[in-house]
Amino acid sequence: MSTRTPDRRTDATSSRREHTRSGPSRWSHCRKRGVDGSMRTDEHERTDEHERTEGRHSSFTTPESSGPVSRCAASSDWGSQVEDNEMRRDLHRDLQRYRRRILAADGPHRERKASSGSSGSCDSKEEESLETDEGVLLRRQKQISYGKNTLAYDRYIREVPKHLRQPGIHPKTPNKFRKYSRRSWDQQIKLWRVKLHAWDPPTDNGTQEDNEEQLDLGDIMDIELDFPTLAEPGPQAAHAGVMEDPEGTGTPVKVQRMDAAAASDVV
Amino acid sequence: MGCREQFQSFDPDTQMLLKTALKDPSSVDLEKVSNIIVDQSLKDQVFSKEAGRICYTIVQAEAKQSDGNVFRRNLLNRLQREFKDREDMRARSIHEWVCYVTFICNIFDYLKVNNMPMVALVHPVYDCMMRLAQPDALKNEEEVDCLVLQLHRIGEQLEKANSQRMDQLFFLLRDGFLLQEGLTSMTRLLLLEILEFRAGGWMLSSTANKYYYSEISD
Repeated sequence: MSTRTPDRRTDATSSRREHTRSGPSRWSHCRKRGVDGSMRTDEHERTDEHERTEGRHSSFTTPESSGPVSRCAASSDWGSQVEDNEMRRDLHRDLQRYRRRILAADGPHRERKASSGSSGSCDSKEEESLETDEGVLLRRQKQISYGKNTLAYDRYIREVPKHLRQPGIHPKTPNKFRKYSRRSWDQQIKLWRVKLHAWDPPTDNGTQEDNEEQLDLGDIMDIELDFPTLAEPGPQAAHAGVMEDPEGTGTPVKVQRMDAAAASDVV
Repeated sequence: MGCREQFQSFDPDTQMLLKTALKDPSSVDLEKVSNIIVDQSLKDQVFSKEAGRICYTIVQAEAKQSDGNVFRRNLLNRLQREFKDREDMRARSIHEWVCYVTFICNIFDYLKVNNMPMVALVHPVYDCMMRLAQPDALKNEEEVDCLVLQLHRIGEQLEKANSQRMDQLFFLLRDGFLLQEGLTSMTRLLLLEILEFRAGGWMLSSTANKYYYSEISD
């Protein structure tokens, strides 16, 4: 103890500096790159955006972690991080619940399957076709949330309690835990949302049919949305059926142009 | 509701706005409300010590009423902006800086997600603690006081979220206690107490308690 030298202090400070370097990358999903795509190093003060406006590395298109979550600059803000985190936890909880439900439902069949020689692991063929990829689940959940965050959905669930729902007639939320191809899933979402429009609140301009046509474009935009940015939509107070494309960069030009017209008509 | 007494520091119109935010959040401008709360927290340390409770109430109310997150998002992003400029803030006013740290720790304490602390805040809070443990900060009793108070309140949770950083923080605190010259005896007392507090698993043994707390009351 008496041999303690000043060097110890320097060690402490240098370990702090070293820590500062790795600091920001930790609370932005361990990305090696900063918000503008440049690699994080000692030299970079992780202060303001104004320092980071000089162009991105051409290699900046690959996010470090899976899925759309880390891709956008927006998700480095605390608000989005917390929301995403919350959504992820909810997803895991839902997944566990769903798993239990499946296993419970399969229970009575287990014996039969065992006797036919099949292994224990396929006592739940549902389990095998379970979607567990977090990125996929997150994206699907966001798509579902967009649909549920509408006046139409609100009116629908109030009007038709679950036990009175008739398959085929009443829209049913697609099951995000089942394995589907991307196209299949997107199509299901689209059809679901189109069906929900039947419960849109009446508007002043145009008939029900008009609404459906216009909102169809909104649904197409849903599908084009490969990168769910959480900048504006979703958790905010419900906009009736309007699906704003926050960035618009992925949307084909002709849809964009029509979008401007459609958006102004939709309530 | 328990938040009423905290509103005393505001003018009547603002008080009205805040009360409405607690009961009917979607009817008010939540961005404005979050800014009002943050602004006040940066000025008034007494307010910032418990402002987390108000925020928690509004967040819950909004979630329940409209499943919304507007208030929380605005609050967090405003906190983040202040965090980015904390060095300037500290240079401008130690008091404001200390209020900021008190506030962000309070938010960390109150605003849980699924009963877990918000992961996004863990590193920023640690960054603030580490800053307070720097030699220039240890010279100010105001900053030391803030540091130990926050560690008493949220140290255990912080450690659970990231024990490695807590270890690093305490390396700094030990160093400061042992090596730094010019610290006041109050500062050294506070540092020694927090060292023992953590070593005791975030509580003081009864003898240590006697030492620190009955001495002071003498």
